Amino acid sequence: MTELLVKNACVIDPLRGINGDVMDIAIRDGKIVEEVSDAAEVVDARGMLTMPGGIDSHTHICGTKVNFGRYMSPEDMRAGRTPRRGPMHATSGYSVPTTYGNSYRYSVMGYTTLLEGAMAPLEARHTHEEFTYTPLQDTMANTLFDGNWAIMEAIRDGDIKRVAAIIAWTLSAVKGFGVKLTNPGGTEAWQWGKNVSCIRDPVPYFEVTPAEIIRSVVEANELLHLPHSVHLHCNNLGTPGNYTCTLGSMGLIPDLNPKRQTLYATHVQYHAYGGSGWKDFCSKSEPIANFVSMRPQIVIDMGQVMFGRTTTMTADGPMEFNLYRLHHDKWSNHDVELETGSGIIPVVYRRKNLVNSIMWSIGLELALLTKSPWQCLLTTDNPNGAPFVKYPEIIALLMSKRYRDAEFATVHPDTGSRVPLPAIERELDWNEIAVMTRAGAARALGIQDLGKGHLAPGADADIAIYPLKIDEVDPSAEYQKVIDGFSQTEYTIKRGRVVARRGECLVHGSNATFWVRPKVPENYDMSKDPDFIEKFERYYTVRMSNYPVQEEYLSRNRCIETEADL
Amino acid sequence: MIVKDAVCPFCGCLCDDIEVEVEGDRVVAVTNACELGTTKFMGEKRLKNPIQRVGDEWKDITYDEAIRYAADMLLSAERPLLYGWSGTHGEAQCVGVHMAELIHGVIDNTSSVCHGPSILAIQEVGHPGCTLGVVKNRADLVIYWGSNPIDAHPRHLSRYTRYAEGFFLDNAFRDRKVIVVDVRKTETANIADEFVQVRPGGDYAILSALRAIVQGKTETIPRTVAGVTREQLIRVANLCKSAKFGAVYFGLGLTMTPGKYKNIRNAIELVSELNRHTKFTISAMRGHYNVYGSNEVNTWMTGYPFGIDFSRGIAFYNPGETTAVDILARKECDAALIVGSDPAAHFPRRCLEHLAEIPIVQLDPYPNATTAFCNVQIPVAVTGIDAEGTAYRMDGVPIRTRRVLWSDYLSDEEVLSRMYALMQEAQQP
Amino acid sequence: MKVTLAMKPAAKGFIPIEAESIVPKNFLSGTDLLVWRGNRELRLDEVFSVSVEGEADRAEGVEVVLSGETFRLKRVGEYMDGGKITVLGDIGMHCGNFMTAGTIEIHGNADGWLGREMAGGAIVCRGDVADYCASGYRGGRKGMKGGTVEVFGRAGDFLAENLADGTVIVHGDAGDMPGAEMRGGTLIVHGDCSRPAANMKGGSCYVYGTAREMIPTFKKIGPVQHDGRTLIQFAGDLANRGKGNLFVKNYEYLD
Repeated sequence: MTELLVKNACVIDPLRGINGDVMDIAIRDGKIVEEVSDAAEVVDARGMLTMPGGIDSHTHICGTKVNFGRYMSPEDMRAGRTPRRGPMHATSGYSVPTTYGNSYRYSVMGYTTLLEGAMAPLEARHTHEEFTYTPLQDTMANTLFDGNWAIMEAIRDGDIKRVAAIIAWTLSAVKGFGVKLTNPGGTEAWQWGKNVSCIRDPVPYFEVTPAEIIRSVVEANELLHLPHSVHLHCNNLGTPGNYTCTLGSMGLIPDLNPKRQTLYATHVQYHAYGGSGWKDFCSKSEPIANFVSMRPQIVIDMGQVMFGRTTTMTADGPMEFNLYRLHHDKWSNHDVELETGSGIIPVVYRRKNLVNSIMWSIGLELALLTKSPWQCLLTTDNPNGAPFVKYPEIIALLMSKRYRDAEFATVHPDTGSRVPLPAIERELDWNEIAVMTRAGAARALGIQDLGKGHLAPGADADIAIYPLKIDEVDPSAEYQKVIDGFSQTEYTIKRGRVVARRGECLVHGSNATFWVRPKVPENYDMSKDPDFIEKFERYYTVRMSNYPVQEEYLSRNRCIETEADL
Repeated sequence: MIVKDAVCPFCGCLCDDIEVEVEGDRVVAVTNACELGTTKFMGEKRLKNPIQRVGDEWKDITYDEAIRYAADMLLSAERPLLYGWSGTHGEAQCVGVHMAELIHGVIDNTSSVCHGPSILAIQEVGHPGCTLGVVKNRADLVIYWGSNPIDAHPRHLSRYTRYAEGFFLDNAFRDRKVIVVDVRKTETANIADEFVQVRPGGDYAILSALRAIVQGKTETIPRTVAGVTREQLIRVANLCKSAKFGAVYFGLGLTMTPGKYKNIRNAIELVSELNRHTKFTISAMRGHYNVYGSNEVNTWMTGYPFGIDFSRGIAFYNPGETTAVDILARKECDAALIVGSDPAAHFPRRCLEHLAEIPIVQLDPYPNATTAFCNVQIPVAVTGIDAEGTAYRMDGVPIRTRRVLWSDYLSDEEVLSRMYALMQEAQQP
Repeated sequence: MKVTLAMKPAAKGFIPIEAESIVPKNFLSGTDLLVWRGNRELRLDEVFSVSVEGEADRAEGVEVVLSGETFRLKRVGEYMDGGKITVLGDIGMHCGNFMTAGTIEIHGNADGWLGREMAGGAIVCRGDVADYCASGYRGGRKGMKGGTVEVFGRAGDFLAENLADGTVIVHGDAGDMPGAEMRGGTLIVHGDCSRPAANMKGGSCYVYGTAREMIPTFKKIGPVQHDGRTLIQFAGDLANRGKGNLFVKNYEYLD
C-alpha cells in the first residue's frame, strides 16, 4: 500500500464544481480516497493551482504517420536533443519528438492522458508499440473508419447495424478507443488521386456520400454505446470558404446522447474559413461558434495555429498533397488498403503571412466566441497547428486581451479587416481553462466515469500542481507568469506517484491503454460473417487471423466493455 | 501439428499465409512459402550453446558467462558499435537502443548497406507511398526499377502485382502493365510488358529526362539518354500519365549505383510530379524481413532510422560517418555487438580487417561468416520459428510473427535484456 | 595570442576525437577545455601538448595552430566566429561547421563535411577535400549560406550540395555531383567533374574543365566569355523547374 497526501492545494476541479478551494487530496494505491493514514508521504502544494492531470483530446504522438514524420525529418530531430539522465531516456525532436520526448514534455506540463487522433486499423500494432514507449501518460487511439470499404458497402445497403458490427469488430481487434472519420470518403477517393468536394459529393465506386457516412457512423456509434462520440475531421480542410461545409456537416447531427456530445468536430480552426480563394480569405469563426453554442450535441477543439516551424500530418492525404503543391517542400503520403491514408509535410507559419495570421486568429476566436468552454477544447492538433509545448502561450492568449493585442500588433497588417479577434473582449478564467484542458476533455471523451478529469474519491490520482497562486496573479496583465506557470509543474502526479518535478521526470512509469470492446449478438459477430471474411481474405494483404492486435501490446490493459443495441 | 497463417521471417514481403507442419521440435513441411522462405523454416544446423574463442579453439560456455562477457566488453569500450538488427524482432531492437544509449555507443542496422540511400532521399523530399494492398487492388501500372523480385522477393509478383487479383481490375493479369528498368535483362524483365535497358550509372539521367518529359519539356532531351531512346522515354512517360494508378518498386540497382540517394530522390520527385496528373506511389523493396522494423524502432526511440551515435549522450545522426561500414572502414570503433546479421559476408575487405582487430560478440542461431571474427557467439531462438515478436513489412505494416515450435533457446530479447540489466547494475553509482 | 596544440600519441589512436571546443574564442579564457574521445570526456591537455604565447582580448587576436596526427580530430572550428585556426597536417570531419567568421587554413587534406552549413568566414584547404565539402545537413533545405571555401587540391563527391549562398572554389577536379540541388551562391571547379549542378534551382556553377555525364535536362543557351575563358552556358535544371546557370568548358552526355 502506498499513500500520498497533497496538502493545502488550491483546487480547481470543474467536474465537481470546485473552483479555487484550498484543500488536501488523499491518495492510496493510485486512486483518490477520502483520507489516508499518518504514514502517508506528504506533498506540500502551498496554495498552488492544483487540477486534475491534463487531458489532450486530440494529438498526434504515436503510430505510422507520426513516426514517418520523424523518419523524414532529421533536421527537426536535431533541434530538441537531450541525453539520458537519471530515469529519463535520451530525446530528440521539436515538432515531432521521439516517444520519450513527447511523454516527458507533456508530463512536465502536467498532462497525464493523451488521445492519439488517428490510427489506421491495419497499422494499429505500431501505435500500440509506441504507446508502450510513452510511459508517463495513459493513452487511447481514435481508429480511422473514413474510407473503410466494408462500412461504405453496408451504408450503401442501408444496414446501420452492420456498420455498427464492423466498427465493433474492428475496435476490439485493433484495441481502438474511438471512431474517427477523417475527410470521410475523401481518403478513399484519394487512392485514385481524387477527393470529395463536400458532404454531398459521392465517393467513386462506392456511391455513398460523406453525409451518409457521417450520419450512419454517428448512429452506429450510439448503437454501440461507445464512451466517446464520433470524432470528425470534416471534409475540405484548409480551403477558403469551407465553413459552409463544416456547418453542413454539423447540421447532420441529432442530439442522441444525454451524457455527452453526439459529434466531436476536431481542429475546427482549419474548417472555419471564408472567402472564395486565398485573396479574400477570411475568418468565419462567428457563424461556427454561434452554431456550436446553440447545439449541445456538438463539441469542438480549437486546432490553434501558433507561429513557427512545425510538421503537418493527417490521414487527409489529398489535403496534404494540396499543401505540397503550395509549399513545394517534402511531401509524404501513405495510403492504407481498404481503410484510409495519410500525408505529411513540414510547414512554417509566419506572422508576416496574411493567411497564417488569419489562421492564428481564428483558433483563438473559436475558443472565445463559443459560449461554453465545455464545447471548445484546447488543442493545436499537435503538431499540425503547433507543437503542444505551445499550449501555455495559448492559455495566456485566451486569458489576456492585452497579450492578444500585443501579439496582434506583430501579425500581418491586413489581418484586422479579415477577422473579428480585435473586437473580442472576453478573457477566460482559470476555471474555464481547466475545463478546456482536462474536465471538458474527459467529459467529451466519455472517460470521467473511468476516473479521469476530476479528483473525486475513486478517481485515478492524476494531478497537476502548477507553481501559480491564482489569487495573486492577474492573468490579464501578468501573462508571462501564466505562460511560465503552465509550462512546468511543481509536481505532476500520475497514478499516485510524483512523476515529474520542476521539469525533471523522476520515474520511468508505465501507462495504461484504454480501448473498447462492444459486445454484439452472435449474428453481428464479423469474425464469423462469411461475406466479411471472404472479402477480407481476398483484398487485404494480411490474413484476418494476423490482423488483431494481441494483448501483449498493451502495457496496462484498460478494456472498456459496452453492450451494443443490435 | 500444423500452424496456419505463420509469418515468414525471410524477406520484406513478410508473407503471413504460410502453413508449417511441425513434428516435435522440427519443421517437416512448409506450404505457400517461396524457396527462400521454405529453406529458412526448415532450418540449418544451429549452434547448441554459447561458444568462446580461446586461442585457436572454440570452448563451450554458459549463457551467463557469455552475457557477462558481452556486458563487460561493451562497458569498457570507448566507441562500441551495435550492429545488425534486421534479423530480429522489434522488442529486441528496443533493448538494443536502450543499451546504446546507456553505454554511449553507436547503433546501426543493415539499412546502411541496403536502403540507407532511400532513407536519405526520403529525408530530402518525402515519400509518396502506400501499403501493398493498395497496389494489389488498384494499380494498372507497376514499374520495377533496379529490382528483380523473381530472385529476391519471389512472391511479390504473385501476392501484390503481376499475378495478383485486384478489386478494381476485371482481369488483373491483362489489365495491369509491368515495366522493368534495369541495366540487364533480368528474369523479371522477361515477364514485363516493357523493358527499359539503361547503361550502368545512367538511372539518374533517365529519371531527370522523364521528369522533364512529364512536364512537357521534351525538346531539350538528347536523342538518347544513357542508352535509352527519346522515343522510348516518351512512351514510358505517357504510359505513366495515362495509368489510373501507378506504382514504382525500386531495389539495390537504384540505391547502390552511382549517385545512390540522388537516384532515389530523383525517382521520388518523378513520382511526386506524376501525382499532378494521376495517382502514383513509390516504395523500396526492403530486403531482410524486419529491416524496416529496425528503422521504425530506432526512429521512435532516437529520432533517426539508422546510424545513431550516442557517444556524446545525445543522438547524433550522420550516415557516411555514423554508419557501420564507415566506422569500420575508418577503424573508429573498439568493440562490436552483432545481432541478427552477418556483416562478414557483406562488408568490404577494409571493414573486415578492423573486425579482426577488435573484440566481437555475435547473437545468431547459426554459425556464419562473422563467426570467424567473433570472440563469443550466443545462439538464440529464431524469430518466426521458436520466438515471436513484431516485424514491419516493407510497406510499414506491422505483423506479429508466430512461434511455430518450442525450444530451449533464449530469444534475442531475453539475451539482450539480461545483458542490459548487467550494464545498468554496473553503471549504478 | 598563439595557441599551439600538438597531438599526443594515444593508446587507442584510431578512435576519433571530437573537439568542437577548439575555436579561437574559447582560448581567451584559458586552455581549460574538454574534448571527447569516443564516449570519454578528456581534458585538452590529455590529448594535446598545449602551449600559449602572447595575449589577446578578442577572438580576432587568437590563432590556434594544430599539429601532429590530426586527421581523426573532428569538429574543430565548429561555430567559430572569429580568429584563425591553422592545421599543419590533415584534419578530420566537420571542420568549420556552422562558422560565421574568421579563417581556417588547412595545409594537408580535409575529411568529409568541411565547412558544413557554414554562414561566413573563409576556409582554405591546400590539399584535397573528401565528400560533402561545403554542404548541408541530412534533410535540410539549405547547405552553405555564406563565406568562402577554397580548395587547392581535389574535391570528393557532393561538393557544395544544397549550396544556398557564398562561394566555393576547387582548383583541382571534383567528384560526382558537385552543386547538386544548389539554389544560390557560386561554385567554381577548375578541373573536371561528373554530373554538375544536378537538380539545381538557382545560383551559378562553373566547370572550367570537362563536365562528364551532363544531366540531359539543362537547356543550352550558347557560348559566353567568363574570366578570359569561353564557356558554354546552360539553364536548368528543367526537371526541377530550376532557374540556375551552369557554365562548362566541355561537356559529354552519357548517351
